[in-house]
Parts: sequence; structure tokens; C-alpha cells
Amino acid sequence: MSIRVDGIRKTFGGFAALDDISLNMPQGELVGLLGPSGSGKTTLLRIIAGLEKPDQGRVLFNERDVTTLDVRHRKVGFVFQQYALFRHLTVADNVAFGLRMLPRGQRPGRDAVRARVRELLELVQMDTMAGRYPAQLSGGQKQRVALARALALEPEVLLLDEPFGALDAKVRKELRRWLRHLHEQISVTSVFVTHDQEEAMEVSDQVVVMSQGHIEQIGSPLTVYEQPASRFVFDFLGHINALEGLYDGAVWQSGEARLRLDTHGACPDGALTLYLRPHEATLAKAPAEHAHLPVKLAARSVFGGTVTLELEPRGWGSGVLEVELDRDTWAALAPGRDETLYLLPRSLQTVTCDGDLGPRVAPA
Amino acid sequence: MSSANRPHKWHQWTLVAAAFAAVVVLLVLPLVVIFAEAFAQGAGMVASNLTSGDMIGAIQLTVIVALITVPVNLVFGVLLAWCVTRYEFRGRKLLSTLIDIPFAMSPVVAGLCYLVVYGGQGLVGQWLDDQFDVQLMFALPGMVMVTVFVTCPYVARVLIPLMQSQGTEEEEAAILLGASGWQAFWYVTLPRIRWALLYGVVLTNARAVGEFGAVSVVSGLIRGETLTLPLLIQMLNEDYNTVGAFTAAGLLAAMALVTLLLKTVLEWRQSSKLNAAEETLT
Repeated sequence: MSIRVDGIRKTFGGFAALDDISLNMPQGELVGLLGPSGSGKTTLLRIIAGLEKPDQGRVLFNERDVTTLDVRHRKVGFVFQQYALFRHLTVADNVAFGLRMLPRGQRPGRDAVRARVRELLELVQMDTMAGRYPAQLSGGQKQRVALARALALEPEVLLLDEPFGALDAKVRKELRRWLRHLHEQISVTSVFVTHDQEEAMEVSDQVVVMSQGHIEQIGSPLTVYEQPASRFVFDFLGHINALEGLYDGAVWQSGEARLRLDTHGACPDGALTLYLRPHEATLAKAPAEHAHLPVKLAARSVFGGTVTLELEPRGWGSGVLEVELDRDTWAALAPGRDETLYLLPRSLQTVTCDGDLGPRVAPA
Repeated sequence: MSSANRPHKWHQWTLVAAAFAAVVVLLVLPLVVIFAEAFAQGAGMVASNLTSGDMIGAIQLTVIVALITVPVNLVFGVLLAWCVTRYEFRGRKLLSTLIDIPFAMSPVVAGLCYLVVYGGQGLVGQWLDDQFDVQLMFALPGMVMVTVFVTCPYVARVLIPLMQSQGTEEEEAAILLGASGWQAFWYVTLPRIRWALLYGVVLTNARAVGEFGAVSVVSGLIRGETLTLPLLIQMLNEDYNTVGAFTAAGLLAAMALVTLLLKTVLEWRQSSKLNAAEETLT
């Protein structure tokens, strides 16, 4: 079922949680609502579910207006951040709840309910825990039960609020893959809320980046990462180093640091900030003709195939810069103690003095 | 789990002994005296007192008042707790403060207020008398009304903190799964609050049975008609019928002990359920 929200506004006591949100989610897609806390993503999810009423705007399922349709008739599957399992019921009874609430005519018989519950618990790999109570389950297990319960009525829309928020890193990664897999198995349009960029990037077909009640950008994970539509998106997706300095049309300068940049006239002379992603630079023992950015190594951490370095600028800028090198590059470099190194950016994002994103540039 | 230590110094033991002594002198001794006094002139006197018309009438009246009060306050308390914890509205805080009025106010004052409003000379009382020839005060309806007033906070006060800490998500989950509001209450809310609810009922009942101040004001103390057990005790004591007074008092004390036992069982049951859940986790 496709979901469309159209011009949604919602205020809580004068605070605009959502301001004119319009969004289209095609049938069968897995959409990630990504944003910092307070960006309105959970409110939007609750409005799609019918748990909140928008002040203005419409929600449409398959182009049918459901804005005024009561929650219980919307037939959406919803997974709460804290799972909200019925603590006085066993795992099996939790999953069966929706089936038992059906009106008498549509309610399946006792055996049919039992069979359906078994099938669902097998789907989420919890069939051995049917008799347990929620208090006896781990976070990841509760999550699976909550999902099985939400799927019991075969919803065509599945909504998940921070589905992995309360889990530890390893279980999180596992469940993420598993959810992606599950989504491909069953025909359902899923929307999930997250504040974790990595999670949104890995799981979704489409990412909706939100901030302060606005949509900043909608697109595939690759698009929003490679072609961020705004400074906020660039900032929010992954770590950045901000280099502040002055530009004279050919050279960017800050203290002892110099970079030769050709922006084809896109950036006016004057203050110019450059954003540098940690993985878009390398280090050398000597400056290049086009780049002179002296730095000193402050700290390093080795994890997996990459080495993350913290660098202190020498005679320019302020604050520590973060750069990621692969292990081999790092081993070849092998700098001495207190040795001055030179940062060589491969690609930079320009930010003009009025805060807009300028072109991407490569020093040459 | 417990952070308490066994006392091991002499002054710690002294403190414990002092606590026990205070409990015996202040609580246990009077209770023992009640039963001792009742049986002072033999079991026969107790039996004849128990079977006297006044006593049976008082027992019946007390039970009737409790039987009406408890269900009324059960429903009222659940509704109130539901409103205060499940809806966000202007005056919610005020409402939850107003619930406490019967706790804060002396029951005698409550009785007088009801007398002024609903009595024969009162605003509402006069109108009811004129229009429908109904008399509320100095009769069963008035006694029930003040008892309901005095005992109305108990259920709500037990439920509100519990329902607040439980939050609304499970009910939302039920409604998302297609449950009606009533189904969500019956299958999700009620099972989660049932022990607390029973506890509230036990407290309400104990208070309803033992209420003296407010009831004495509105009962008019008509012998054989509007005397509940606590009122009868007072009456018999003034008549120098010591055995009678103490027999009635013993009856009330016995009811209190049963209530206490019920309350302990309920608390034990709740905590052992919690412990069981925790143990299987570890």
C-alpha cells in the first residue's frame, strides 16, 4: 500500500513539531525517517498511524484519505520504541491479541489462531519462547515479538519507532539485516524512525532527512550522502571537519595554511568555509604545490581496516581535525614523534558566508 | 537485594526493643483488652449481646453501607484515575488535588457540610423534600453519601501512581491491534492494575466499616434504625453496657484484622510475582 502525506502541520502548545510536510512513499518501499531528536520524525510516524491528529493536511493510503479514520480501523502494524508488549500475557498471547480482538464474524477459530501464532513466531525465530512472559526476554527477543504481534493482522503498512534504539551494538546490526531481509520477504510498505545515520543508510530504500519539523532532503541513501541538498544534511550525515578561512578567487588561506582552489567563480571573494569528510583526504610528509596544510598527530585509533587520526593544525585554524586512512597507507607513512605532516584533501564541500552549500571542489 | 543490616551493637538492639515495646503498648495491648473485656463475663454474655436486636441491626446496616460504598468508589476511583493519567486537559492537576479533600478534611466537618446542603433545612434537602418527599439525612442514603465521600480517594490514590508509571503505550498498542476502548481497558489496563485495585478496595472497605465521625453527624443516632457498629459502640459505652460495647468493638477489631491479613496477602502476592519475573531473567 502506498502512503502519501500532504501538507501536514502539527503544533504542540505553540511549538511547531511539523511544518507543512509532504511526502510520498511508494508501495513496498522501506523508508527511513532520519533526524536529530526534536525534528518531528516520531510525530510524523504517529500521525501516519493515527495516534496523533494533524492540525492541517491529509494522510492517504493508496490515495484513499484516512486522515479522519480511527486508529483501530487503519490496520497498520506499529512497533514501539520500548516494544509495549502486554506484560501480563505470554509471547504467544501477545502475538494472538490482534486476532482475538477481531469482530466475531472475522475472528479465526482457536486452532487457526494457534497455527497463525506459530507461523509468526517461526518467522521471527521465537517459536521456542511461546510460553514466556515479556519480562523473561532480552531486548532483541522483545523486539522480534513486537514485530510478530504487529504483523499478525497482515498489515500493508508497517511503522517502526526507533526499532533498534534500545539494543546493544551487535544485536542491533544483526536485527537490522534481519529486518531488511524480512521486508523483502513480505509485501509491506515500511516506515521507520531513527536518529542513527548508519542505520538509515544501511536499511532504507529511501531516506527522509528531517530537522525542526521540516524535510531537508528525500532520496536514496547514496544520493543524500553524495549530493546533500543542504548544509544540515551534509553536517548530519557523518562526521565533518570545518575549515574556516578567506578566499581571493584562486587561493584559500587561513594562517599558515593555503589551498589552491578553482571554483569557476561560484564562490565570492571573502570568508569561505570548507567541509572535509574524514575519508576524503590523505597525509604526506611534504606539502604539495596546491595544498599546504601543516598538522601534527594528536591521537590515533585503529579499528578494523581503517586508522582514525586526530590532527592538530600547526599555525592555522582551531580545533582537532579527524582523518581516516586505510591501514597500509598509515603503515607506509610511519611518522616520527612530533613530525609535521601535511594534509592533502581530495575533495571539499564549499559553504559560502550566507550558509548555503557551494560547489564541491578539488584542490589542484 | 536488601541493603539493611542485622543490628549488631547494643544500642541498635535497644532501638529495636524500644520499637517492639511501643507497638505492644500502643497497638497490641489495647487489642487484647478489647477481647478480654468482651469475654470478661463469659461467652454466654457475648453470645446474648451478639444476638440482641440492636447488634444485629447495626451489623446489617454496617454491611449494607459498605456494600453500596465499595462498588461506587471502585467505579469512581477507576474513572478518576483513568481521566487523570490518560488524558491531558486543563485543570488536570486541580482535579488530582481535589481528590484529596476527604483525606485532608475532618470527617465531622464533612458530615456537617452534607447536613447543611442535603438536610431538611438545606438547599438541596428542602427542594428534594418539597418535590419528591425524599429525606436523605438521618437515614440510610445520607449515611451512605458521607461514607462514600470519606472513602472516595483510596482507590484513585492507589491507582494513579501505578497507572502513571505504566504509561499509555500498551493501551495504544491494543488499539492499533484493533481493540475498542472498552476492550483495551478490559484486556490490557485491568489485568495490569488488578492487584492494586483489590488493595484499594480493601482499604476502602476497612474505612467504610469503621467510619464514625461523619456518619454520627448525619445518622441522627436513631436506635435500631441508623446505628452502625461504630455508633453502637459509642451508644453502649454511654449506657455502661461494657460487655456489649466491647463485643461490638471486638467484632470491628476482628474485621480489621481480617482486612489486614488480606492486605498482607495481596502485597505478598504482588511482590512475589515481581520477584518471580526477575529471577527467571537472571
